[in-house]
Amino acid sequence: MASSREASDARLPWTVGIVALLALVALALIVQARAGGERIVTAYLTFADTVGYQVPSATVPASVLAGGKVVRLPYAPRPLWAPSVASSPQRIATQITWFHLRVPRLTDDRQLYLYVPRWKSDGSLAIYADGRLIQQSHANLQWNGSNQPLWIALPHTTTSQPPRTLDIRLQHVRGIGGAFSSVWIGNYRELAPRYYLREFFQVRLTAFSSAAFLATGIFGFFVWLTRRNEPIYLLFFAMSVVCFLRMLHTFVGVHPLIVSDAWFGWITVNSLYCMIAVLHLFAARLHHAHQPRLTFLILANGAAWAIATLPGLLDPTLLAGLIYINILVQGLIVGLNGLRQSIKARSRFAMMLSVWCLVTLLAGVYDWSLQQNRVNIESVFLTNFTGVGFTLLFWYIMFRRYIEALQTATRAKADLARRLAQREAELTASHERLREIEHRELLHQERQRLMQDMHDGLGSTLVSALRAFESDRAGDLDAVAMLRGCIDDLKLTIDSMEPVETDLLLLLATLRFRLQPRLEASGLKLTWDAGEVPPLEWLDQRHALHILRILQEAFANILKHAAAREVAVSVRAEADRVLVRVQDDGCGFDPTRPATGRGLANQQRRAEAIGGTLHWEPSASGSCLVLVLPVEKPPLVIPRLGGP
Amino acid sequence: MSIEATSPTPLKVVLVEDDVAFQEAFRTALVDAPDLSMVGVAATAAEARALLTGPAADVLVVDLGLPDGSGIDIIGEAHAHWPLCAIMVSTTFADERHVIASIEAGASGYLLKDSPLPTIVQDIRILHGGGSPISPRIARQVLMRFRPDERQAKAVETQGVEIPGSEGQDRSGVPNLSERETETLQLITRGFSFDEIAELMGVSRNTVLTFVRRIYAKLEVRSKTEAVFEARAHGLL
Repeated sequence: MASSREASDARLPWTVGIVALLALVALALIVQARAGGERIVTAYLTFADTVGYQVPSATVPASVLAGGKVVRLPYAPRPLWAPSVASSPQRIATQITWFHLRVPRLTDDRQLYLYVPRWKSDGSLAIYADGRLIQQSHANLQWNGSNQPLWIALPHTTTSQPPRTLDIRLQHVRGIGGAFSSVWIGNYRELAPRYYLREFFQVRLTAFSSAAFLATGIFGFFVWLTRRNEPIYLLFFAMSVVCFLRMLHTFVGVHPLIVSDAWFGWITVNSLYCMIAVLHLFAARLHHAHQPRLTFLILANGAAWAIATLPGLLDPTLLAGLIYINILVQGLIVGLNGLRQSIKARSRFAMMLSVWCLVTLLAGVYDWSLQQNRVNIESVFLTNFTGVGFTLLFWYIMFRRYIEALQTATRAKADLARRLAQREAELTASHERLREIEHRELLHQERQRLMQDMHDGLGSTLVSALRAFESDRAGDLDAVAMLRGCIDDLKLTIDSMEPVETDLLLLLATLRFRLQPRLEASGLKLTWDAGEVPPLEWLDQRHALHILRILQEAFANILKHAAAREVAVSVRAEADRVLVRVQDDGCGFDPTRPATGRGLANQQRRAEAIGGTLHWEPSASGSCLVLVLPVEKPPLVIPRLGGP
Repeated sequence: MSIEATSPTPLKVVLVEDDVAFQEAFRTALVDAPDLSMVGVAATAAEARALLTGPAADVLVVDLGLPDGSGIDIIGEAHAHWPLCAIMVSTTFADERHVIASIEAGASGYLLKDSPLPTIVQDIRILHGGGSPISPRIARQVLMRFRPDERQAKAVETQGVEIPGSEGQDRSGVPNLSERETETLQLITRGFSFDEIAELMGVSRNTVLTFVRRIYAKLEVRSKTEAVFEARAHGLL
């Protein structure tokens, strides 16, 4: 489903492009069909050999009407392979070619125009109407915008009438140039469609497309600046630059150039070598076949010609015919090699480029024929159109790359989201499991704790009471005291279930609050001295119960055995320990004597279990029990309480 | 204990308790006290409500676990019907959850069921005389309620105690603890007795008792105000 949609998405630009192209061609045909005007196809031709270039005269000299011949227009002499070359244009062997045209009788008194589809002067041009100069070229000699059709508004005054004759003066390098197409004359409505159609396809189109290509190329350059590991963007930029340079000659030159003819010719001819080299490298990025030797040959050949045709050495403009043959051969090698590699690598883009390279070569052969005046010079240079095709092709490739990158990113994001969700679900599940285990463990511990506590305290007291009642020894028992003890036990157990949140004083306060009534009832006076105590991070419910039981036992012992009148409880923090002292003024107590009950041993074990220690300090009167607790979390100790 | 029966007419005491044994013990305790007279006993919430329509007692002792309802409700209704009556909740463990709920409903003290009988009588006298008992845990709980900071949230989290209206609401009308009251509560959480606190703060024992009584009253007002806030927040008012 998704792939078919992607495929249809990929076809859409093609469809739009083809429809637009067909619409353009149809429009051109309609415009062409509505055009009119008179076409002049015969001329009287005369030559005159010259040296250097001279300024044309204001009127047509009489000599042009004698010693010539009648020719058909377009007239295009075959150029020489290598015309004579001189270091200065003023010493070069030149020739003046005159075309004398008769204008058919026109009865139109509207503004008239001349339209010349093509002129190939390789020099200067001057046009005369009824013997008077009406138009002359004023820019460079070689690169003079001869690709651009001429559009001349004839003088239109109160005395003027349609001209009867036209004279065309071409002064050009002897051996090349001097070709001229047929001439159209007519009013604006008749000729404008012809002129604008040719002007658009021959000049504007290449100008637009190469400028647009350059703009996207600059965009690609900035992409490359941030993504240096993708040289394809740099190659794209390079291609746009050399294409622009190559296309320049099709739309500039009517006005003087900022560089000399020599340099402009060098740029125009050598940019073709650059195009082939960049095309080769670009295709290699697509089909991934790196052919260092071939690449070296291509670059070396291009570099050799680039050096050989530097201004002052060989003149690339005059040698263009030869150079273009070399370029065609090189293009053929690159095109065929690209085709082979792209078939091997199954790279669609590389194949498209290579095929288009070969198509361009065919167009190049045709253009070479046109350049050599071997075909009708009124036809157009096809490589201008294949150049536009290259622009579109490169755009398409970059567009596809961009779309694919976006799709990859979307897929990666979706994939990431999916994996994230999966991992999250796993984590949640494992967290849930852990919590469940933890919860079970907590319940288990709590149960253990309470069971142990009941077993040691409440349980054993109640069982011994039961036995006493059963064997009728209840009289020996202080039943009330025993039950009160049991209730106190229970209260402390309940107290231990409420969190104390690291507050030792609160825990001790709770103990005092519970024991106070019993102490008061026994007439025992309690002094309470609670100093500042840091929070004990480790103090949880389990630990709290141990502390409560240790001190409960201590008070029980004092009540039972010490016969004391006063008990002093003090709590002090000392360095990293907290000391809880229980001092009585009773009959004293010898901790070294073997313990009779389980009480003392249990107290010791409980103290150990919470990472503390329990000892008896020597005291002048009575006994002094000290419970030492750590401030920091004590190492984990498995409690071994009670038991047989 | 310093508070003696000085009133010429005995205090009228009403007990709400379903445990017959405790009823008996309570009755026995009061028989020996000429200054206290038991004027009514209710074993159920319904009976208690019937009693509340009658003449007001001086002291009401309520057990929370009644067979047909909650003692908390009875405390609330008694507080409304008999505004001058001192209400005590009778409890075995004086656990903070039940005691605080009772105080918020209008009780001003609690009675430990396992206390020796003379202590029960004495506790009733103390309560009527203006002294309220308070355990360290309850003191801490009260401190936390009157501290509108993250400790409340923590309390909710760790103890599941719901503290309504604790976030960013208009608290005008909600009483706050005075500095002395807060100090009293802090000393209680550190285990000091009323006498020791009186000495530490340089006041009389009666003043400390007044502080506690006032704290309880504020807790009750606060809980009611917060209930109103809560209701407003939920669009009930």
